[in-house]
Amino acid sequence: MSGAVMLAGVAWAHITPPVVLMSDRDAIVTLLAGAQRFFVREVRLSRSEQAQIKQQTGWTPDEDFYRFYLGRDGQGRLVAGTIFVTEFTVHGPIRIAVSLGPDGKVRGAAVVELTEETYPWVKPLIDRDFARDYAGQDSRGHFHLSARLGNLEAMPQFYGQVIASLIQRAALLYDVGVLKRGDAS
Amino acid sequence: MNGIYLSRLPWSGKVFCTLYLLGIGCGALAAFTQAATAIGLSPADVQASLAPAMPMTHMSAGQMMGEKEITLGEVSSAAKVWIRTPLLIQTSHTHLFGQTLIAGLLGLIFLFASVREWLKALILALPFVGTLMDIGGMWLTRFVWPGLSVLVIAGGSLFALGYALITVISLWQLWIGTAVRAAGRRGAGAPPSEASL
Repeated sequence: MSGAVMLAGVAWAHITPPVVLMSDRDAIVTLLAGAQRFFVREVRLSRSEQAQIKQQTGWTPDEDFYRFYLGRDGQGRLVAGTIFVTEFTVHGPIRIAVSLGPDGKVRGAAVVELTEETYPWVKPLIDRDFARDYAGQDSRGHFHLSARLGNLEAMPQFYGQVIASLIQRAALLYDVGVLKRGDAS
Repeated sequence: MNGIYLSRLPWSGKVFCTLYLLGIGCGALAAFTQAATAIGLSPADVQASLAPAMPMTHMSAGQMMGEKEITLGEVSSAAKVWIRTPLLIQTSHTHLFGQTLIAGLLGLIFLFASVREWLKALILALPFVGTLMDIGGMWLTRFVWPGLSVLVIAGGSLFALGYALITVISLWQLWIGTAVRAAGRRGAGAPPSEASL
């Protein structure tokens, strides 16, 4: 009996296999379109920067450092930056790449990795080009599910909110790690 | 064990054991393919997915920022799964429960094989030890030293070796009945020896 309960528990808790929709290179090439030179910037956040992000979103950055891929034109001017951000949900990780312009505004986003279980819930969002709802917003924008996605079922809506939160995190990290630290070009 | 041997199981017992062993084998092949495609099968592949991310900019410890120009060729073109600590926790708890249950049922079947006691203990321990080495290796790779990724490969191989030995010996004794023949040579009615293999 206890074995059956354990087996049921394992079946219930099992995370389905990962689904990788695109490589990091493909995401960078797509999201930094127009750039002629590529740079990588790695940033460690200070305690005050971490506190500022937590105050705005409730999320505490806990990575040792954050990596930004920056695209510049031939003259070295910043065209856009991309950062990869991940949320670990009860169904497994969802990882997205977000592109932001030199003004800190969202240019686009793409889902890079998710799981077999979450894919059918996220696919309706991808099909409806979820990223366009956040294009043009900076870190102080409203990162909520837009009305046009309100007719989706509960789980796509849940993941739509997860993705919106991830885009906001990316915008905040970019604000702190790239814009406020100055363009090193 | 206790007078019950694989070779003497009733048909229902033989069918159960056979289908379980074959089912686990199919599952193991699927898991192997999954690991090969999502992570890779070399210690370097495991290290790339599990070890903490190292700065690309040679930013030293304590330094707050680093930047350098790169070519796109320096960014991975492979569709790779990145296993970070929260996913490692999720993976560990499901795999430790799941693989230990599988190892337990494999061991339970193998307890009734006619094999020398020390060899039986050794073989049925392999899937358990392999599981601990596999999952433990993931944590050691992430938090102690990336080179310990070799433990993940070794653990998976031990599990596979244990499964293969248990399956081959069990199926042989279930259907070909070496124990019965061995017992027959010793005299009718005598129980098969635990050391008949």
